[in-house]
This record gives sequence, structure tokens and C-alpha cells, in this order.
Amino acid sequence: MGWSKDVGALGAGVIDFVNASLKTEQIGEVEAKGFFSLSGVAIEEDVIQFPQSNFYCSEERNLIIFKSDPPVLEQYRFLNSTLDAAKYFKAKEIYTIGGIVSLRAHTAPRRISGVVNKEKLKSMLAEYDGLEVNIDYRTPPGERPTLSSFLLWMAKMRNIPTVNLWGEVPFYLGNAFDARAGEHVLDFLNRRLSLNMDLTPLREESEEQSGMIGKLRGQSPEVGKCIEMLERGIMLQPEESERLRREVMKILSQRRPPEWS
Amino acid sequence: MGVIFESEPELEEPYLVAAWPGIGNVGIIAVDTLREAVEARQFAEIEPWDLFYPHAVSIKGGKLQDLTFPSSRFYFQRVGGKDVIFFIGEEQPPSEERMYQMANLVLDVGLRFGCRRVFTAGAAVALIHHTFRPKVWAVPNTERLIDEIREYSHATLMSDIQGEGKGNITGLNGLLLGAARKRGLPGICLLGEVPIYLSSFPLSYPKASRSVLETLTQSWGIQADLRGLDSFIQEVERNIDELYQKIPSLVKDKIDQLKQVSHISPEEKEPITEEDKEKLMEDIEQFFGRKGKD
Repeated sequence: MGWSKDVGALGAGVIDFVNASLKTEQIGEVEAKGFFSLSGVAIEEDVIQFPQSNFYCSEERNLIIFKSDPPVLEQYRFLNSTLDAAKYFKAKEIYTIGGIVSLRAHTAPRRISGVVNKEKLKSMLAEYDGLEVNIDYRTPPGERPTLSSFLLWMAKMRNIPTVNLWGEVPFYLGNAFDARAGEHVLDFLNRRLSLNMDLTPLREESEEQSGMIGKLRGQSPEVGKCIEMLERGIMLQPEESERLRREVMKILSQRRPPEWS
Repeated sequence: MGVIFESEPELEEPYLVAAWPGIGNVGIIAVDTLREAVEARQFAEIEPWDLFYPHAVSIKGGKLQDLTFPSSRFYFQRVGGKDVIFFIGEEQPPSEERMYQMANLVLDVGLRFGCRRVFTAGAAVALIHHTFRPKVWAVPNTERLIDEIREYSHATLMSDIQGEGKGNITGLNGLLLGAARKRGLPGICLLGEVPIYLSSFPLSYPKASRSVLETLTQSWGIQADLRGLDSFIQEVERNIDELYQKIPSLVKDKIDQLKQVSHISPEEKEPITEEDKEKLMEDIEQFFGRKGKD
């Protein structure tokens, strides 16, 4: 499961890649009425949008995929509907995929963590290299839990084993798909669910992204300085962070979308 | 969605008094102060999950521990020979439909115990100066309560303020009484005045809560220890005074004109006009950087 609005577009990016790699078929949807504001429509990149919440299936891999815009109304009822579907399909486990903001440089290795709603899942996750399974967290004052955390709790109430997978995304990648974080998540899913997906296109995408930021770093001393500070573990000032984010987003937005998206 | 009962207290024609957060948190401070003062005991809670988005998630060692939601709790106590149900909502539901559902759930609990009267408490944004003692606007949901309200000291009817007695009450403070009217349950909404220039700040205004409490306890014929509230009032007053000293003298002069405003006579010409009022708010907002033009 993944949400279309996500840090580093991680959930949507990973799901788009799985859908394309496994050639899944759309098998259902959650009707938008009641869960999204339908008093009008959003326009993005010159195109009218409409909220989508779709289920896809790969019979061969015994896998159900759910990709959705995050509902703005009646989230409890919406999440219950998705869990109804999971029950209907007799889902053994649910994995949600989401990004979390990292203050580290994009050149640092991406960390992936897993949060579970059942103890037995934790010992299972611990067998996978590169997956952090011991995080402590509490929502800071003034913030709210994510939809994935809400789902994790609801799944617990309904006795459905669920894992929230969180991939770190450097803050200055903003809404661009972080291919490197995506690669780590997909590598885990490949191993865990025996999906046998070829991740080469994702590695190429990741290298292209890194190359573009590297080029920008060479051209702009300010960007270079900021990234170097992050690499040395030095926090940036808010205005430096914002400038870095803006510059990187500008260059990444010129990139053509990957074929699978 | 429903109500979880921890106990079924035996209550005799209780009053129900309800509050949610709102402007200056006037209502919730008033009702919660009284609830604490009389040591009311919790007996029920509304199931929150389909009314609210959760507050916080707690994860320990990679495992979900808990997800917390805004609470909506019922308490009871016998106060001055009268049974009272207190309802404290930590948050108002996000949609009109859910607000109406909550209003009816609260009334369901009240009626289950034979409730005969409902009170809600909130804020009235008013043209008053912060050095003034706030009045209480009392709005009943039935004409039968108007004469009773006239007996309250320091409370006023809408018609005393705006001539025709018209206006509206946003949120559950109003909706609960509208739903109560529909179900034949009489009630009064008590609105403590908050100075217009402080109303848009995330600031508690306990002085208005005290006024509400004075009206409420007078109408119930009880005494309550409000010393804790008084020290909170003093603390907030100090903060407002500090803020006030930083306001440019031109804006301060405008605010000080509010010292001449009186709501008591609707015929009385207001010392500042609507135009003055708009300019005043603009100046204040600009000063606090909310509507800067740069």
C-alpha cells in the first residue's frame, strides 16, 4: 500500500515500479465520494486531476497492490474499506510504504525502518539486512500521525499482521521520487515476497539523479557547500536548507519521468 | 460509533453542561474548572475513531504501542443538591455531519439519565477592551427561558446587544442547543466576551471563562472555588499587558477607543464605526505580522 502524496514520492514511486514490473491489473477501487472533497477538481501540471484509490493484482505473485490519494474525509471509514478488501482477499500480511524526511545528505546510504503491529513480525523483519527494526517514536506536539500509522493500528484491531516500511529521503529531494530509497524498499520486498523484480532501471534512475545533483554541486558553490556541510553532519540554517531544496528541485523537475511511472 | 459506559450513575433530572475548545478556550476552561472544583467523576466516553483523526502514535522498539485520539468524556457529580453531567470534548469533529452526530450522542447520554436542561459555554467576540470585565451573552433555545436569563447578573440577551436579538453561534456550542431544541430539551448557551483584537490569536482568555462560571454557578445557586482560575487569569493578563506595551501608540489609541464602548443600550451610538473596526483589525493584524504587506 502506498499514498500518492508522500515524502520523496516513495510510496507511489515504489508502487508504480511494482505495477509496471509485474504487469499488474487493476481489479477494483474505492469510490471517491465521501472521502475526498468533490466541490471542484485540482489542476496539476496543466491537467485536471481526480482522486484515485485503486487496487491492482498480480495473480502470479499472489500480490494485491493498493495505491491511493490520501483521503481528506472519513479516514477511519476509508481505511476500514481497504482492510475489508484485505480480508476479502485473505491477505496474509500488509506492507505500507512511505517516506520520512532525513537531514542527511543524498550521498549517505538510505536507511529503511519497519514498524510492526505484531511481535512475530519484528523477529521476521530482523532477519533482513539493512532494515532498522527497533525505532522508538512519538508524534511531536502539533503534528498528527500518518495515515499508515492509523492503518497499522486499525489492522491491529482487526488482527491483520501489518508492517509500516519507512524510507529515509533527504529533505531537499522534496516531492521528487527518491530512486535510491525506492531501490532499498524494493530490494526488501523482492526478498520478502519473492517478487523477482529486476531493479536495474531503478539503479539507473538513482545514478542519473545523483549525477544531476553532482553536476549542480559542481556548478553552484553554495549548493556544494550546503551538501558538504550535511555530509559532515552539520545542520543547515533554515534559509540555506530552503535554498538547497529549491535549487535541487529545479534541476530534478527538468528530468523526464522514468518509464515505469 | 457509540458511547462506552464505565458506570451507570443514578441521577435525578440532571443538568448537562458541555464544552469544546474554541476562541480563547473560554467554554472549555470554564466547564473544566468547574468539573475539577466539584471533583466530578468520569462515567462514559464517546468512541472516537470514526469521529476524529488520531492525535499521536507511540512506537517502541519498532512495535506499535498505541494510537491516541481526542477524548470526549462524560463526568457526573451532585452539585448544590443538583445532579450535573459534565461533558468535555477535547476537539470538535471535522465535518458538519460528524458534529451533528456528536451533538446527538451527547444528548442521548443526557436524556438516558433524565436530563432536563442543557448548558453550553463558549466565546463571544466583542468590541470590548481587555481591561474590562467580560459580560456573558446568554442565548436560550426556547423563549421560556428569557425571563430567567434577565434575572442573571452580568449576563445579557442578544437583543440587549444588537437590538433585534439576531446572530449565530458557530460550532457545537450552538449546534448542541439547536439539536436539543429539536428534541424538546431546553438549554442556554453562555458566551463570555473576548476582545475582538485578541480573538484571532491562539490565546486562552480565562477572564471570560470566569464570567461564564459566575453566571453558571449563579443560575445553579452554587459556590465553587475558583482560586486556580484566578491565578491563571493573572498570568494571562500579564502576558497581554506585555504584548500591549509593544503595540505602536497609533494602534493602541484605536484599541483604547474600545474603553468607551457599551453594549447595554442598543440605541446608544457606538463610539467607533464599522469602518473604524475594520481599520483597527487591519492595523493589529499588520502589527502582529499576520497580514503584512511587504
